[in-house]
Amino acid sequence: MAMKLWGPGPYIYVCTRMRVRKSKLLPREEYVRLLQMSLPEIARFIGETEYKREIDELSASFGGIDLIETALSWNLAKEYQAILTITPGTLRDFTEAYLRRWDIQNVLTVLRGKSQGMGPGKIKELLIPAGELDRATLDRLLNEDGPERVVEALKGRALYPIVAAEFSDAQQTGSYSRMANELYKQFYADLLIMARSGLKGGSLFLAFIVLDIDITNIRNLFRFRADEFAEDTRSMMIQGGTFGVEELQHLNTLVDRTEFIRALTAKITNKTLIRVLDSLREAASIREVEIDLIRVQLGEMEKMSKLHPISIHPILVYLEKKKYEIFNIRAIARGKESHLAPDRIRRYLVM
Amino acid sequence: MSADLNVTAAVATTVMSVAEIEASQLGMKAIGAALAVGSTGIAAAIAETAIGTAAVGAVAENRDVFGLVLLLTVIPETIVIFGLVIGLLILF
Repeated sequence: MAMKLWGPGPYIYVCTRMRVRKSKLLPREEYVRLLQMSLPEIARFIGETEYKREIDELSASFGGIDLIETALSWNLAKEYQAILTITPGTLRDFTEAYLRRWDIQNVLTVLRGKSQGMGPGKIKELLIPAGELDRATLDRLLNEDGPERVVEALKGRALYPIVAAEFSDAQQTGSYSRMANELYKQFYADLLIMARSGLKGGSLFLAFIVLDIDITNIRNLFRFRADEFAEDTRSMMIQGGTFGVEELQHLNTLVDRTEFIRALTAKITNKTLIRVLDSLREAASIREVEIDLIRVQLGEMEKMSKLHPISIHPILVYLEKKKYEIFNIRAIARGKESHLAPDRIRRYLVM
Repeated sequence: MSADLNVTAAVATTVMSVAEIEASQLGMKAIGAALAVGSTGIAAAIAETAIGTAAVGAVAENRDVFGLVLLLTVIPETIVIFGLVIGLLILF
C-alpha cells in the first residue's frame, strides 16, 4: 500500500543519509594504500570498514580473492536493497527502475553460466542481487537444469519477452551480446517513459538518464573505433540521448580521430564533456577513455546533486559511486591476484 | 424633528468612551504580540522540519554528529526569541 507522505521531510531524510554514506566511501588516499597491500591485507583492511559484516560472515566459507569478491557483491546488494527500504514516494520508483539494470546483468550471467555448463555455486559468486530479482528468485533460477528452463522460469517478469525472443538466436550463435543489447535498450526506453510520465521529479531523473545514455553511446563509439568495427551500429546504440541513432552511425563512419571528436563535440553542450573529449584527440587506450568518461559522468552527477539537493540525484550519485568503489576494490584484488604492478592496476581505477 | 433625533442617537452610539478605547488598544497590542510570537513559532517549526529530518538522517548514519546536529536543529528557535522580544516590547 502506498504510504501517504506529508511534506518534504522523508525526502530530506533519505537525501541526507545518502550524502553521509557518500562521505564514508573510500577516499583516493585509501586506494593508494590498498595498491601497496597484499591480498590478505586487503581482506583485513576492508574487514575494518563498511564491509566488516560481510567479511565476518563469509570468512568461514571463502578465502583470498573469493572472500573479497563475494563480500563486495553481498555488500553492494545489501546496500542497494537497504536504500530501497528507506527511499520514499516517487524517489523509490525511480531508484527501483534504475536498479533493474542489475536484473539484466544477473539474468545474463545465469544464462551464460548455464550455457557454459558452470555449476550453480560458481555462478552464484558472480551475481549481485541488487535489483528486482532477489536472492531467493536468483537461487531458483540457478537451480534450473539448463538455460531453456531459466528462460521459462522468467515468465511473467519484465525481462521475459526480450529474453524469450532472443534466446534461440543466442543459442545458435553462442553469444548473448545481442540479447544484452536489446535488454539494455528496453531498460533505457522504460526509464525514459517513466521519467516523462509526469511523475514529480521526473525531469531531474530524465537529466540523469540522458547523461547516462550519452556517455554509454560515446563509450560504445570509442569501443567500435578501438575494435575497428565499421559495420552498421544502429541496432547497438541507445535511443533517447543527445544523438540520434543515425547521427551515431555517421560518427562511427568517421575514420579521422580529430574529425570524429570535432563532430562529437559540435552537438554536445556539456563543457566538461567537451573538454575531456578534446583531450582525447591524442591517442589513448580504450580503458583510459572509459575511465575519463566515467569521471565526467560522476562529476556531472555530483554537480546535479548539489544543484538539486532534494531530488533523485543524491541517491543516484551515491549508488554510482558505491558501484565504482566496489569495482575499484575488486580491480585491486584481482590485480594483486594476478601479480600486476600497482601502477598498472591504478590505470583501471576510477578515482 | 424626529429625523434629527434619530441622527443624534446614531452618533451617540458610535462614540466610544475612554475606557473602551484603552481596552481596544490593549486588545490590539495583545493581537500584535500574539502574531509576533505565533508567526515566528510557525516559521521556526517549518525551518526545524527540514533541519530536524536532515539531522535524524545524519545521526542514523553517523552517531558522532549528534551534538552538532542538535545545535543546528535548534538554531531556528532564535526566530521565536526575536518574536517573543517584539511581543514583550509591544505589551510593556
